[in-house]
Amino acid sequence: MPTKNEMEVGRKEGILRADVRLDRAQTDEERFSRADLVFSGVDHSTISYEVRVFLNNPDADEGSSRTAEEGYAGRFVIFAHGGCFGGVGHCDIPAGPRAPHDLRLPHALTQQTKVVDITRALERVFANEPHQLRSITLIPISKGAEKGKRGLSTDLFQFDAVKLRTYAHATASELGLSVDYDLGP
Amino acid sequence: MAVRRNIRGLTDDQLNQLRAAFGAMQAIPDERGYHFFAGMHGLPLPSYCAHGSLLFLPWHRAYLYFFELYLQDIAANANVQNASDIGISWWDWTSNASHTNGLPPAYTAAQIEGTDNPLAIATVEWPIQLVQDVVQALPGTLTAQGRTLRDPDEPDELPRRSTIESILTLPTFTSFSTALENVHGDVHVWIGGTMTQVATAAYDPIFWPHHSMIDRLWHMWQLRHPGLTPPVSIMNIALSPFPMTVAQTFDIDPLGYDYAVQDIG
Repeated sequence: MPTKNEMEVGRKEGILRADVRLDRAQTDEERFSRADLVFSGVDHSTISYEVRVFLNNPDADEGSSRTAEEGYAGRFVIFAHGGCFGGVGHCDIPAGPRAPHDLRLPHALTQQTKVVDITRALERVFANEPHQLRSITLIPISKGAEKGKRGLSTDLFQFDAVKLRTYAHATASELGLSVDYDLGP
Repeated sequence: MAVRRNIRGLTDDQLNQLRAAFGAMQAIPDERGYHFFAGMHGLPLPSYCAHGSLLFLPWHRAYLYFFELYLQDIAANANVQNASDIGISWWDWTSNASHTNGLPPAYTAAQIEGTDNPLAIATVEWPIQLVQDVVQALPGTLTAQGRTLRDPDEPDELPRRSTIESILTLPTFTSFSTALENVHGDVHVWIGGTMTQVATAAYDPIFWPHHSMIDRLWHMWQLRHPGLTPPVSIMNIALSPFPMTVAQTFDIDPLGYDYAVQDIG
């Protein structure tokens, strides 16, 4: 699965693209009822933003319409903390696991996992020529307080990695019966 | 019992009572008041809100529950009629009216009979330095005087009913909570201004009907999926600072509130 650093810069600075090769299901075991893009280690510490996902549209940018024709697959929104107003160290996320006796909740800025359901979009990709997922394009848009100042962001979207996860059955997520795809080329 | 109603379906009397209750609560300077509760979500520190985890829905249910109890108490003390029935009305952002006109009028009229509408605006009660720091770091969230702001997007950009209907079919609490929280964040940034950041959001009076809608959708999901609970691993977690665990938020009936059956387009 690609880390953020392994993704290519897309059409503009801030846009991320991963070139992938994923064929449509050939066997019953490969068929899925649900497909998610799972983003791990997502930062939510500063200004709010959203990330739009496009499939098989490596040239997508912030002006691309959110339609099936453009390969739009969905988005997630980060409702962010707004920066640090505490003392020194207040917003530092503790490293390492907590001791077994430590009942404190995780640090408020612990990075989040975000999920985008791309089931319908991926089904469309596989239904149309060339029946193959070839690229995933991520477009971060700032969502600060002033609507007129929002736009493509080059620094807000920080994350560790993204993977494609499919489920044979919808409830399989609770049972760990998912298949993770390596989105490498 | 508190009855939470669709904000667009309130009678004039019900709206006046809700407005009077909010106005009375905004005037309370101690831990019963609006500013104390709004501050729990973000600034001033400490911040208690839960986001990006399975505690999101339980914590905000507890948050609204205790806010509503104090809202009723203060309304009663202020001789507001039917105080014990006052519930945090919900804002259905999927309705045709919302997708045509945006924010509900009850929450946008700047003044009512010559005074500030407590459903439209609030003023934070922070040290001046904190106001200045926030205005500098997060422009557009507050005025220089600490008043709340909004800058809403196009009405039709609000979440769609079809999206919510799809989310309500999700078969596990985990998947439902994750998907609903994403929509919740979308509405926060749609409203713009104060609502865009965790640090300030709860000061904008629209925060409360927005989260009433979120809680209502959780309740609706529970009705459609009886017996499905959050993972056992979180059921005994305490929802600080409230004297409540996740398990105690699971059923709203013992909490003394309910949602009116209303679908106002």
